[in-house]
Amino acid sequence: MNLISTPLLAQADPASAGAAPSMERVPTVSERAAEALQHGIWGAAFYIVIGLVAVLIVVSVLGLVMSYIERKVAGHFQCRLGPMRVGPHGILQSLADGIKLLFKEGIEPGHGDKVIFIGAPIFSITATILLLAIVPVAPGIQVVDMNVGVVYIAAVSGIGVMGILMGGWSSDNKWSLLGAMRAGAQMISYEISLTIAILVVVMFSGTLRVSEIIESQQQGWWIWRGHGVAIVAFCLYLIASTAELNRTPFDLPEGESELTGGYHTEYSGLRFSFFFLAEFANLFVFSALATTFFLGGWLPFHIGDYEGFNRVMDILPPVISPLFWFGIKCTALIFLLMWFRWTFPRLRMDQLMRLEWKVLLPFGFANLILAATVVLTGLYFFPTAT
Amino acid sequence: MHDGAISTVFFYLFAASSIALALGVVLGRRLLRSAICLIGVLGSSAGLTLVLGFEFVAGIQVLVFIGGIVVMLLFAIMMTSQGHTFEQQPTLRRRVAGATVAAAFFTVTLSAYLNADFPVPTAEQLAVSHEGADEIGRKLLSNQGDGYIVPFEVISLLLLSALIGGIVIARKHAPEDEESDQDQGLANHPSDVGR
Repeated sequence: MNLISTPLLAQADPASAGAAPSMERVPTVSERAAEALQHGIWGAAFYIVIGLVAVLIVVSVLGLVMSYIERKVAGHFQCRLGPMRVGPHGILQSLADGIKLLFKEGIEPGHGDKVIFIGAPIFSITATILLLAIVPVAPGIQVVDMNVGVVYIAAVSGIGVMGILMGGWSSDNKWSLLGAMRAGAQMISYEISLTIAILVVVMFSGTLRVSEIIESQQQGWWIWRGHGVAIVAFCLYLIASTAELNRTPFDLPEGESELTGGYHTEYSGLRFSFFFLAEFANLFVFSALATTFFLGGWLPFHIGDYEGFNRVMDILPPVISPLFWFGIKCTALIFLLMWFRWTFPRLRMDQLMRLEWKVLLPFGFANLILAATVVLTGLYFFPTAT
Repeated sequence: MHDGAISTVFFYLFAASSIALALGVVLGRRLLRSAICLIGVLGSSAGLTLVLGFEFVAGIQVLVFIGGIVVMLLFAIMMTSQGHTFEQQPTLRRRVAGATVAAAFFTVTLSAYLNADFPVPTAEQLAVSHEGADEIGRKLLSNQGDGYIVPFEVISLLLLSALIGGIVIARKHAPEDEESDQDQGLANHPSDVGR
């Protein structure tokens, strides 16, 4: 069955590299750089600069667009209009806010540790930029595609905690410190559930490379193919990533009624905007990774080898198709996370810890064992030949 | 081919930064700054592993050492120290003990370095070892001649006992008191936040 459908898929959608084994992979930016290195150092430098500039542009554009969307979504959830004054429907609002932030004075607390205070936002934004490098937007539109991509994601997302802890401690303010400790405890705890949820997909696809995880979903996204196991893993991932992002209902680190602003109370101007940008870019990164792991990344919606349906889904031209599908899935997930914010009340600290250690973690482990059984018996839908 | 030259450059870069930051860890007088230098040292050594081509090992190094151990260190420093912790003038006993331990460790390292015969892998061996993660997984869980299943299980038992020990130490009250303890909101005390 697989053999029949493969040429058809390749014909309809040559951009999805995994469609046929004969299709050559589109190289990522880092692979192009490595290839250019064979001919000279300047070609490689050119690609490295392209990668860096692209990631920087993505970070700043994400900050602008997502803060606008967040305010609009929040407004409409509360039967308000959201920002309306600056530009038509307020679309220039975040630009105006950005300019205001740039010109604000960067205030430093008198008694804190200044070096750490200045370094903390840089740590935060570095972790985000490193994470963005591995997000696969479309074939070839990815900065690095390491063969240990999932390990890289787990490792790098741990660095972000450091920035928050450093920022809270060096502010020399008890609310900042409390917020930082809460954020640290929360992020370390929920990282375990996050990793366990991702491990289910790693087990299904049998690879740690992000692009191969996407290609393994050619026959259907893992959230469908893995029966209930993948759906449980997806829910675990969503809960854990909301906690990882410090968003409501897990936004205790900046619970404004008790901690004023949490770890970034003392920050202002450009340094505050680094924390702010990191937060919004992380929202995108975690949605993009959920798309990659559970919703087939840039692949269109396919049902096994139901050819008629698959061909309708492949109707978009190959250049636009991956961008369209990735965009639509990622946007839907971002909207879902924003929806959470206006649906669930904030948890208390002990409830938060109990949820992770007494509910999510046992569920995650049981789910992992169940997933291993599913993989061993080949029970999932549309089992591939490989 | 610039590959060799570039890895050499990166090797010296990581080596230099790891030495400089290690000095920062030891000589710094502020505890938290030392801990942050330690992040740099561990990051540089992960970089050195990356230069060798072992991406999986480098990733695990960052994950375990930076994401786990240094964060624990930061938590410990933040919970125990009051405000800005400077290392006070150490007592004579601590100086002697420190010097002795350092000298002993230096002797051990030096003798190990002088007596060891470092095998330099050939290019083919390095090319084979690049497919790290699955090979490591197979070795860890294989019970054949070259497998490490027994040490692996022994270590996991050790970790489990450490985990249970940690819970026992952290538990202040009898189990039946715990529910009421949490509901009274004692977790608002700073030292209880991470509990």
